[in-house]
Amino acid sequence: MPKFTDPAWSPYVAGILIGLLQIPAFLFLGTALGASSSYVTVMSHILGVADPEVLQIDYAAKHLAGAKNWWQVAMMAGVVAGAWLSARASGLRRDAPSPVWARALGTASPAARFSVAFLGGFLMLLGARIADGCTSGHGISGMAQLAVGSTIAVGAMFAGGIATAFALRRF
Amino acid sequence: MSVFAAVLLGLAMGAAFGIALEKSRVFEPGVILGQMRLANFTMLKVFLTAVITGLVVLSVLHGAGLVKLAPKATLFTADIVGGLLLGAGIALAGACPGTVFAQLGAGYRDARYTFLGALAGAATFIYLEPALAPYISKGGPGKLMFHTLFDLPYVPVALGFAAVLVAGLLALERWRPWRADLGTGYDGVGGSDAAFHPVVDEAPGDRIGAR
Repeated sequence: MPKFTDPAWSPYVAGILIGLLQIPAFLFLGTALGASSSYVTVMSHILGVADPEVLQIDYAAKHLAGAKNWWQVAMMAGVVAGAWLSARASGLRRDAPSPVWARALGTASPAARFSVAFLGGFLMLLGARIADGCTSGHGISGMAQLAVGSTIAVGAMFAGGIATAFALRRF
Repeated sequence: MSVFAAVLLGLAMGAAFGIALEKSRVFEPGVILGQMRLANFTMLKVFLTAVITGLVVLSVLHGAGLVKLAPKATLFTADIVGGLLLGAGIALAGACPGTVFAQLGAGYRDARYTFLGALAGAATFIYLEPALAPYISKGGPGKLMFHTLFDLPYVPVALGFAAVLVAGLLALERWRPWRADLGTGYDGVGGSDAAFHPVVDEAPGDRIGAR
């Protein structure tokens, strides 16, 4: 039986737990699990303060309010809390970048890692919004609904990820 | 559902999601990058198990008429171009849009930069969306689902697909047990994979090196 103080659980236990979250998502919100549109909700509000004209863009406007948008933002805040509790319980708190980066980037420089992280985050969200979904929305949820477009997006995601990972330094 | 109730539900669901991401180690950059290098299969295992569970859950809920499916529209250009960019970003970030929050919770300092980059990516898309919309929001066949292509009901196709995925995972687990991918520090780095860790080869909890 997996314990909360364990450093690691089987990926199958975790996968089942994540999949079960579709039950409240569909029953109470009428939608599937997702992550990446929460960034649009938060960013629309932030941009709206500095540049109210952004709220004239339909895409920003439709992400501003309502139960579904704030549910997803709250869920991402909950992920931070859940991971914090879990890492604290097992004593696996992280701080410095993962040792994988010194190998993948060929340097242990924090500045190099921070720059690549920023670029990675940028491409990740730009791509997710163009595709209208990410690993959660297209992957976990789209494939569970047998959606053709989501399956294509997941294939493209792995193709892009594999090509990029192999282009990094040999590690 | 009121916004307040949705927020409370979201926080609770997110906490469970975050615990699953942290405990499975799938939030680790070494695990995600390792998956993209085809050297670590934890991400595929968590991902496909979540898909299988979703297929079963939706077969019950949709089969009982309790919920409607809500698939995204198929838009070939958007799915392919967006998917490729998303994948490239995932490899460079060592994170997905959801797992970056687990990295923030676990304490990874570089995840703050990933998060800021992601907000910048979202802001860029918001401004570009009106110009991109003619290319990415049109020209697809709509909300296409595999079972409708064959004119079949959802439940048998979903359960059949789930069975195929279970068989695939059983074979994958036989070939590569999940503990082999944990890594020496539970970060997906080291462990049994020589490509990842050419010098020290040890299993977690086996630090003396006795095999």
